[in-house]
Amino acid sequence: MIEIKDVQKSFNGQSVLKKVSLQVEDGDVVAVLGPSGSGKTTFLRCINFLEHADAGELSIGPKTVDLNRASKREILAVRRKTAFVFQNYNLFNNKTVLENIMEGLVTARKVPVKAAREKAEESLVWVGLKEKRDAYPAQLSGGQQQRVGIARAVVLEPEVILFDEPTSAMDPELVGETLEVIRKVAHRGITMIIVTHEMSFAREIANKVVFMDGGVVVEEGTPEEIFGHPKEERTKKFLSRFINAESMYYI
Amino acid sequence: MNGVGEFFSWSRFVDDIPRLLPYLPVTLGIVAYAIILGVFLGMVIALLRIHGQWFFQPFLRLYISFMRGTPMLVQILIVFYGLPIVLQALGIEANRWDKIVFVYIAFALNEGAFLSEIFRSSILSVPTGQMEAALSVGLTRWQAYRRIVLPQAIRIALPSFGTDFIALFHGTSLAFLIGVVDIMGRAKTLGASTKHALEAYLFIALLFIVASALLRLLFHFLDRKLSYT
Repeated sequence: MIEIKDVQKSFNGQSVLKKVSLQVEDGDVVAVLGPSGSGKTTFLRCINFLEHADAGELSIGPKTVDLNRASKREILAVRRKTAFVFQNYNLFNNKTVLENIMEGLVTARKVPVKAAREKAEESLVWVGLKEKRDAYPAQLSGGQQQRVGIARAVVLEPEVILFDEPTSAMDPELVGETLEVIRKVAHRGITMIIVTHEMSFAREIANKVVFMDGGVVVEEGTPEEIFGHPKEERTKKFLSRFINAESMYYI
Repeated sequence: MNGVGEFFSWSRFVDDIPRLLPYLPVTLGIVAYAIILGVFLGMVIALLRIHGQWFFQPFLRLYISFMRGTPMLVQILIVFYGLPIVLQALGIEANRWDKIVFVYIAFALNEGAFLSEIFRSSILSVPTGQMEAALSVGLTRWQAYRRIVLPQAIRIALPSFGTDFIALFHGTSLAFLIGVVDIMGRAKTLGASTKHALEAYLFIALLFIVASALLRLLFHFLDRKLSYT
């Protein structure tokens, strides 16, 4: 189980997260929704120490760390139990696709090169990019880059994968193939927290939905509860905008 | 006895070659010391400029702006006359050091400053997402630097580094002004003893052209070799 408690963060005196907490059971797929500027990406980045929180606690399994005062060693330990999928993919530009996937295994986890290569190749087949193994990131489309990004995360077999708006930077026609791969990750039973704007996708794959606004969790529940019967006014307002937009899209 | 031959003759040109070439290693030595020490110094300064405590910053900035803002010749002379005094205050006797040591030091200090700025801007132009991704897969900050950020920064620095390298090569021709007998110093003594200096200088010009061309080729080759797109 992963428990995140009372995360606070401000940038230049502007409070972005005001005591945000979240509980995630093993195998959960949690979708975090909310308008831009609501703090959802910052929240996700604090879990992985990409952002240094002002306060808060993080427990992965039995171990608890202070998000503000964690030592270098504790931070490294958390990072080695988690993986991150970025909005802008952030593949290592100087490494081939296969090397990108192997990097964490070989350098961080000390897996022997041969075993790491086998695992990396396996995961590459799994995301459907076997033929791109020796390509460099610059030679791939956005969708392909993100699939490599997902393979790079999955291959580490982390306790949780954090997805930060994984399809937001993509051309619309590439979103589908990427969501398909994320769906496969979910079906593998890997715990995930996804920040996304893809409402129908969130509804379909998540078993828990969190709605954030103004640096707080406004409402959380099952997809049925949040999408079907939102209780809070802010949630209703936010979702209605999207549902309108989506139905417009189908016209 | 009149005519062009009085000023320039091919036979003197050919005669000068074996008298000059043995001094080429002196010039190359200055380049080698300056590059090796300069790269090391430049890298340390670049990292200190990016990650170092605020306390260092004014000193580093002063050093860099001095090195970039004063002529190389002035720097050589200041090191040559000033360094022994500084060292003496520290209890080190430098008056008997070979002159070329001061040239090595002056060029290394100068290269360090120029290269630090090249490295610094190259490191900063690697997108922050690269570091973040490396940290996210569990690399330490140092591993991330060594395996992800620096290789990309070096790639970005390469063209400017090549230009700087060639300029350094040309700059070494100032060393003879404090009495170091490198290839330029030798040309000067040849000129004095034979009363014909032009041939020697033309040969040196030719040498610099060839060296620059070779360096440019080398960097062009590296540029292609290291490309990953």
